[in-house]
Amino acid sequence: MKTSRWMEVVNLCLLSCLLGGGLAYGAEMLLRGFGAISTVQAFKEFGVVVSPHWQEYSEDFISFVNGVGRLYLPVIVGVPLVFLIHFVAIGPKGFEHRGRRISFYGLFTRFLHWMCALFFSLVVVSGLMVVFAKALGGGSLVLSARTIHLFCAYGFMVFAAPLFLIWVKDMFPAPYDIKWLLCGGYLSKRKVEVPAGKFNLGQKMWFWLAFVGGAVMFYTGYVVSGLSLPQAQIAGYVKIHLILGLFIVALFITHLYMSLFAVKGSLRSMISGYKWEEEVRVLHSRMLK
Amino acid sequence: MARMKFLCDIERCIDCKGCVIACKEGNGVPVGINRRRVITINQGKPGERSISIACMHCSDAPCIAVCPVSALYQRDDGIVLVNKDVCIGCGYCFIACPFGVPQFPKGDTFGKRGVMDKCTFCAGGPAPNFSEKERRLYGQNRIAEGKVPLCAAMCSTKALLAGDGDKIARIFQERVARRGTGAKAPGWSTAYK
Repeated sequence: MKTSRWMEVVNLCLLSCLLGGGLAYGAEMLLRGFGAISTVQAFKEFGVVVSPHWQEYSEDFISFVNGVGRLYLPVIVGVPLVFLIHFVAIGPKGFEHRGRRISFYGLFTRFLHWMCALFFSLVVVSGLMVVFAKALGGGSLVLSARTIHLFCAYGFMVFAAPLFLIWVKDMFPAPYDIKWLLCGGYLSKRKVEVPAGKFNLGQKMWFWLAFVGGAVMFYTGYVVSGLSLPQAQIAGYVKIHLILGLFIVALFITHLYMSLFAVKGSLRSMISGYKWEEEVRVLHSRMLK
Repeated sequence: MARMKFLCDIERCIDCKGCVIACKEGNGVPVGINRRRVITINQGKPGERSISIACMHCSDAPCIAVCPVSALYQRDDGIVLVNKDVCIGCGYCFIACPFGVPQFPKGDTFGKRGVMDKCTFCAGGPAPNFSEKERRLYGQNRIAEGKVPLCAAMCSTKALLAGDGDKIARIFQERVARRGTGAKAPGWSTAYK
């Protein structure tokens, strides 16, 4: 009998607590509204979700994209113009194609080189088509160029990787390379023995820019084509891609001029795999020592 | 002249995604492309709010400023449109957009992007009004018919307002005054100035 009275008191207390708590919560909700944050606060939170860093990078990105495109025209016009002046004023460097022929490039190396050359050239040309898309009217022509750009980037990487491994041991800078630069490199017509091994400083510069720079271009291009990172990060990759591309285009034109016009027989040596003794003695003197 | 704007009243949006479905179905938007999306914060907690987001048709649109082929343009009524015959799918507009709006269909060739797609405010595109080409590339042209965009028309709670920027701002202000709270929409300084 005594126990049941105590139970009644406890039940009454619990019921009072529940009712009191419920009433208090209800009153608070009525006073504050059902949302725990204000509309202003909610809009601020949406801003963080939708465009978290937009104000930090957008203005810079817009001015960069509009500015860097204008640098490509001086490069593709200016660099060939400089070489045209050199060709007219100084002329190409010729060697006697007589005497002993020295084996320079193996069959596999030449195959890799020409495959890389094919894909790299297409990457450069299609990339320039994208840069100058407005002049070309945009649309399907440039869209096709973008497809070629993407396909050839993969193609270049497939053939560049083994070629990199074959050539890399001869491509590290050596102390005598500086003398090659002081002798005027390729641009001098004088036939003095230039201190260079299998590859001179000019070739080494082109190697590192084309292979390491090419790999950076491939990765940044891959990220930009995916658009799967936050916008601020993609903006950074676009910047790297466009600036590095500028240097690669400049050295690509340089490589074309050197191999096709400035050093006679250079192209043939990459086809046959042999260089004539005089050319090796002058341009790669340390190979004969 | 009136400048067309969207405004989502987050105190009314109930995350039903009716606007998203209306846009996709009415404009024949392909799978994988969302011209409109609904974002929710504090889901399942007090303070849960949802907002319906699409192209805000910014007055000084960054996408237009960054487009390398001038495929993006703004009509006199403020609607920002893309010319899909000129767009090269470079993606710069996606990077520049404060709302992450531009969408790119994935092609079959190496996952290559196609041309950009985004909300047209149901105003079609540069193709002739009501032409088959306009319908196929851009969707409906309800503005030329004197109607509001599909998403706003279908909104069951009338959270999504579309039309003359001044008028919808007034409607929103009246609602806010009645509710007794303030509002500062995301991107206000970019899209509404």
